Amino acid sequence: MTDTTTPAGKRPRRSMKTSTSVIVADKVADWTIRIGGLGVIAAVFGIMLFLALVVVPLFTGASVDGSHTVEKPITGGRPLMDIVDEYKTLSVSVDDAGQVHAFHIKTGTQLDVPAYDFGDKALTAFARTLNGRDIAFGFSDGTLRLATVKVGGAVINTADVPGDLRRLTNEDATDGKAIYTAVSADQTRRVSIDIALGDAQQVAPAGTAIVAADYRMGGAAERPTISFVTVDANGIGRLSRSESKTNMMTGVTTTSLTSSELPGLPQGVTVRTVLMTDKADQVYVVDAGGVVYRYDTRAFDVPQLAETIDLLPGDVTVGAISFLIGEQSLVVAGSDGSVNTFFRLQDGTTKNSDGYVLTRAHEMEKHGSAVVAMDASQRGKMFVTADAKGEIWLRHSTSEQTLLKLKPAEGKPSYHAIALAPRENGVLAVADDGKVYAWDISAPHPETTLKTIFGKVWYEGYPAPGYTWQSSSGTDAFEPKLSLIPLIFGTVKATFYSLLFAIPIALGAAIYTSEFVHPKVRAVVKPTMELMASLPSVVLGFIAALILAPIVETWIAAIFLGFVVIPAGLFFSAYLWQLLPSRIALRYGGLPKFALIFVSLAVFGTLAFLGAPVFETVFFGGDLKAWANGSVGSSVPFTALIAFPFAFTAVYLGSNDIVTRNLGFILRGEDRTRAGVVDFAGWVAMLIIAGVIATAVAFALVGLGIDPRGGVVGTYVQRNTLVVGFAMGFAVIPIIYTISEDALNTVPEHLRAASLACGATPWQTATRVIVPTAMSGIFSAIMVGMGRAVGETMIVVMAAGNTPLMEWNVFNGLRALSANIAVELSEAVRDSTLYRMLFLAALTLFVITFVVNTLAELVRQRFRKRTAQL
Amino acid sequence: MSAMADTIHMPAETSAMSTATVRRTDMRSRGEPALWSLGGALAIGIIMILGFLALVFSNGVATFIPKPIIVVTGIDGTVTAGEPFRSELFKPTAEELAALSPEWQARIKDANGYANRTLYRLGNFDIYGEDFRWVPDFAVAKFEQPKNLIFVERAEWGPFVGTVKSFTIDGAEQAFTGLGATAFEKAHADARDRAAAIRKLERGQIGAVNHELEQERLKVRKVEISAGKTSAAYKAAQDNLAEVSVDLQRRYDAATADVTKLREVDARNTLTLAEIGGREKTIPFSALVRAYAANDLSLAQKVGVYFSRWAEFLSDEPREANTEGGVFPAIFGTAAMTLLMVLVVAPFGILTALYLREYAKQGRLVAFVRISVNNLAGVPSIVYGVFGLGFFAYVLGGSIDALFYPERLPNPTFGTGGLLWSALTLSLLTVPVVIVATEEALAAVPRSMREGSLACGASKWQTIRYIVLPRAMPGVMTGIILAMARGAGEVAPLMLVGVVKLAPELPIDGFFPYVHLERSFMHLGFHIFDVGFQSRNAEAGKPMVFVTTVLLIALVTLVNATAIIVRSRLKKRFAGSQF
Repeated sequence: MTDTTTPAGKRPRRSMKTSTSVIVADKVADWTIRIGGLGVIAAVFGIMLFLALVVVPLFTGASVDGSHTVEKPITGGRPLMDIVDEYKTLSVSVDDAGQVHAFHIKTGTQLDVPAYDFGDKALTAFARTLNGRDIAFGFSDGTLRLATVKVGGAVINTADVPGDLRRLTNEDATDGKAIYTAVSADQTRRVSIDIALGDAQQVAPAGTAIVAADYRMGGAAERPTISFVTVDANGIGRLSRSESKTNMMTGVTTTSLTSSELPGLPQGVTVRTVLMTDKADQVYVVDAGGVVYRYDTRAFDVPQLAETIDLLPGDVTVGAISFLIGEQSLVVAGSDGSVNTFFRLQDGTTKNSDGYVLTRAHEMEKHGSAVVAMDASQRGKMFVTADAKGEIWLRHSTSEQTLLKLKPAEGKPSYHAIALAPRENGVLAVADDGKVYAWDISAPHPETTLKTIFGKVWYEGYPAPGYTWQSSSGTDAFEPKLSLIPLIFGTVKATFYSLLFAIPIALGAAIYTSEFVHPKVRAVVKPTMELMASLPSVVLGFIAALILAPIVETWIAAIFLGFVVIPAGLFFSAYLWQLLPSRIALRYGGLPKFALIFVSLAVFGTLAFLGAPVFETVFFGGDLKAWANGSVGSSVPFTALIAFPFAFTAVYLGSNDIVTRNLGFILRGEDRTRAGVVDFAGWVAMLIIAGVIATAVAFALVGLGIDPRGGVVGTYVQRNTLVVGFAMGFAVIPIIYTISEDALNTVPEHLRAASLACGATPWQTATRVIVPTAMSGIFSAIMVGMGRAVGETMIVVMAAGNTPLMEWNVFNGLRALSANIAVELSEAVRDSTLYRMLFLAALTLFVITFVVNTLAELVRQRFRKRTAQL
Repeated sequence: MSAMADTIHMPAETSAMSTATVRRTDMRSRGEPALWSLGGALAIGIIMILGFLALVFSNGVATFIPKPIIVVTGIDGTVTAGEPFRSELFKPTAEELAALSPEWQARIKDANGYANRTLYRLGNFDIYGEDFRWVPDFAVAKFEQPKNLIFVERAEWGPFVGTVKSFTIDGAEQAFTGLGATAFEKAHADARDRAAAIRKLERGQIGAVNHELEQERLKVRKVEISAGKTSAAYKAAQDNLAEVSVDLQRRYDAATADVTKLREVDARNTLTLAEIGGREKTIPFSALVRAYAANDLSLAQKVGVYFSRWAEFLSDEPREANTEGGVFPAIFGTAAMTLLMVLVVAPFGILTALYLREYAKQGRLVAFVRISVNNLAGVPSIVYGVFGLGFFAYVLGGSIDALFYPERLPNPTFGTGGLLWSALTLSLLTVPVVIVATEEALAAVPRSMREGSLACGASKWQTIRYIVLPRAMPGVMTGIILAMARGAGEVAPLMLVGVVKLAPELPIDGFFPYVHLERSFMHLGFHIFDVGFQSRNAEAGKPMVFVTTVLLIALVTLVNATAIIVRSRLKKRFAGSQF
């Protein structure tokens, strides 16, 4: 710095120091940029982490949040069942003397509950519904009494709560009859028990004890119908129905009882349990050894023995047996510790009168000792089993997993009854010494394991294990079927067919643009193709679904013919072009030739359009859609059509050497037109040979039973994969085109020049020098295009029909991962299983595209390095 | 086979040479047929894009052209009046064929079993219960275009096709003399003014009262949460609410009284229409949006109708479940969301690029980060949507609600999709675009310039601020504009994080704090999806979808074109300052 002081020397020297503001600005910028930059990078990786965090709970099974033991709240008779209310406030158990024991689970404080008054009769049978609200007692004199236990929580105003409450915990208080829990400042929940016992109904002959019973309520509220099934000490099973009618005029209720006998029970059978399904259309009589007599009771008056089957072979006895929710699946636990789930399946080969066979669908992990008690969930396919050694296992039937193994801290209690809390958040077990063991558990996603998501799962009522996606339905007992495989399949199918369409066009166009057109044409053509990339995909989807799909449906034959005629036509035009004298061919080899290609496309496109009806008649029996269904026509012509390109390629490659050596030699001497004629003839000959071969192959394949129908073609629906492929082409073609054209263009000019200088034709230069050099760039272009196709959402949402099918049929729809997320996520409850499953779907997409793109990027970098070396 | 290989394997070649034939290139090595296939691929690509644009634009631009109303009398005597909508070929069923005259049977047979049919837009949904009817050519006895038929666009029930019987002004029936009659036009204008006044009252005054009342209630709730129900503050707040409510009620009553008065006047001004079969329908004048004699329009009138429809489309709110009216809220929502996104994406994108290019040590780590950033551009947009919903709306928004808006719970404020979350989600989606573009632009600034600046004693930030960034600006701007284009056209993630079918309120309005980032909004892309796929009648919505599509493509293309222009302009500006 030249700092000269004035002669007067009065002006101060300018400071050499950098001013503070500059330093501060520099520091601030430094830190802002660093933090901002690193922050963005961290955020970007946070996405993956966040998705993973949401997904993880799907696989964590269940956990125990706490446990405690209540000392002897239950004294007296043997507990028959134990139920817990929805809020895990109260436990209620009913014993064989009719006593009802209710106590506060956390503290063991007993409540005053009246007992069921059986009079002097001895209880011989007991039945309950899944939620334990409706129960039935059978007595030694052959009577049956229905009863209810209502454990209800009602929200009342705090002001209405009685004053003199005994405090149990911070939240709970009691007046001896109910538990009061404050839920908010002015609201309190009152959980209380309400029991009722119906009149005795003489079902079996007087004096013959009822040994087993079950019943279901039906009918309307004003005309209740109660169906029940009983087995008496003589081994006679009865199906009874009691209907109550209230006379509108008099208000008097009359009850009528009708009974019919279950046929075919063997003499002297010791019945352990009878079970009846929800609609009273099935009755299962189970003997002690695990033999099930299944009755078809749809015709109530004439029940039929549909099936007799031993569910526990050998001398294993039944430890516990119960329906799961929906009452279609039956869980049978044996004295050997085995636990299996069975359900009815339709079987064409069976001789059973109703065509169904009870099939073992799930084999659960075996207990170490005999199973003594079981309770099933009221909201899902979860259940708990207790064994003789005092272990309680929490299981899920469909996923076949054991979620938790609970064991008291000390001792080996023998349990009388166990209960799974209605919200699946607690387990309660009543031991024979009157102790009650309670666990707080959480099992938010019992139905998902890696196996259920990615493997085959046998769902209730399905003929075999399979991959199914069906996340919601109208009924309560519906079990969501969450296999990602059909969705991944849909994504793969959409990607495959769209790439099948896009890759040839994009690569062909890229090679042509880069090598065979004038730079001026290229300057117009390339941006035009790139314009395609900026079309919003919602627009593509709309056009595909509402405009393209009906057109494709109407002109499907013409489109198929176009796939054949247009390539053939282009070849045909090329051979015609070869007939032109060299002078003309050279002169018009630029833009006019390109224009001629358009003309040729138009001509052969029109031909395809006009020839469609004839084509449909010859190849598809006159109606393509009916043909695809398999209802008309033969598969041979179409198979030949598919085989033809392969046959032609084989013929071409096979004959190439011979033809080039001989024909090529002859041609070289001739003038252009005559050589063109010979070449043309050669092509026609190859077409004919290929046609013959393809037809022969088609006959052979169809003869062997390989039929494209049912495979790549089948039932036609309007929104199908073909349409998706077309529409997705618009999204994918420009990407593959641009990147591969760039790759071709960056091949150093000297390679091109050297090849041409050596006498290679432009075609030889392109195929043997340029394309191989740019191969990795082209590969990376295809990968990026694939990444786009995998994640494309709106097109598949709108045009793919969204049916989660697993077939390659190009005429049918699909449901892709992305579309599934878009359709279902807005309706999924936060943190529910479906919500997390959709996050898993997103994570899967993320991972797929990340891997594909990283691969593409690595290949591209390699390519750059390679071209730099050239 | 190359020519060289031939000479080696073919001794005969030499003799051919010796006879002095001109040695030509083997025709097969030119690969002419393959070349034509490649050219065909390119041609197909070009046809695809041009055909697509032609389809969209021809449909979109033609939608608002007033079409004639054709009265079709069927051979069975049925009369159908409507706008011809589209025609297509179809295969008549065997029964249909059997019922036809031999002449028609022969014609259809000649056409390979196909016959032509035309879809007519009937209007009068409230009378017919259908919007559209297919009329096969073979079922037609005659076509007519009566000049007295009028196409009426109504605020409800879609269009009406028929004649005007009469109209009443202030209860007095008037004879209908024509659409252009002064009395009719004045009545229509008055009615539209009245409708606008009613809307203004409802939206403005009544809306304000409701808004204020809600605010007061929330205040009380807030006090209740913080101080409890028994506190003195709560009591005071409740008293205040009661006090304010009285005043608000008075204002509310006054406004509703005005509305009622206007509605009464409205009910006395009606229009009686008759459809082609003679059935009549009386509608209030204010429900009349536009009426024209479809078969009796001069060119100027046609142009007038055409442009008035465009004006309505661009400036009005949607009607009829979005299938009619305008898309102004969607345009507004798209613009607001995109701008908000740019506000987020630009600084962060540039900061990251600066960090990667100017600050970070170039090594394996940065190379890895660069690959990752590149790849993020390829991650499906729906994945960002999922993340946006799970993280922004539920986690972040949920926390904001719990901290700042506890009085509104359980109704979410920020804890659900909204404008802010949409913009943030799209910023994540588009930030790689900005980073990559900026990085490239930074890399293009010659090293010598940086070194020169530093050598002159400038600090690092000064160098970046005054030397590097200005020169990189064209690239940066391009990146930002490309990000905008991508953001404006994206729909899938927005479906999860805040776009709705119909947003009752714009995200910016006259109520404090004026900009409501938590509100859900409408979007052009989603509008297309919604009208095309979720409306009562996809056919009725199709014209609207085409117009919206044209608008969206035009918008995206415009933004892209701006990017190109900006780039070339800025390049020119800095061209002189290059060393």
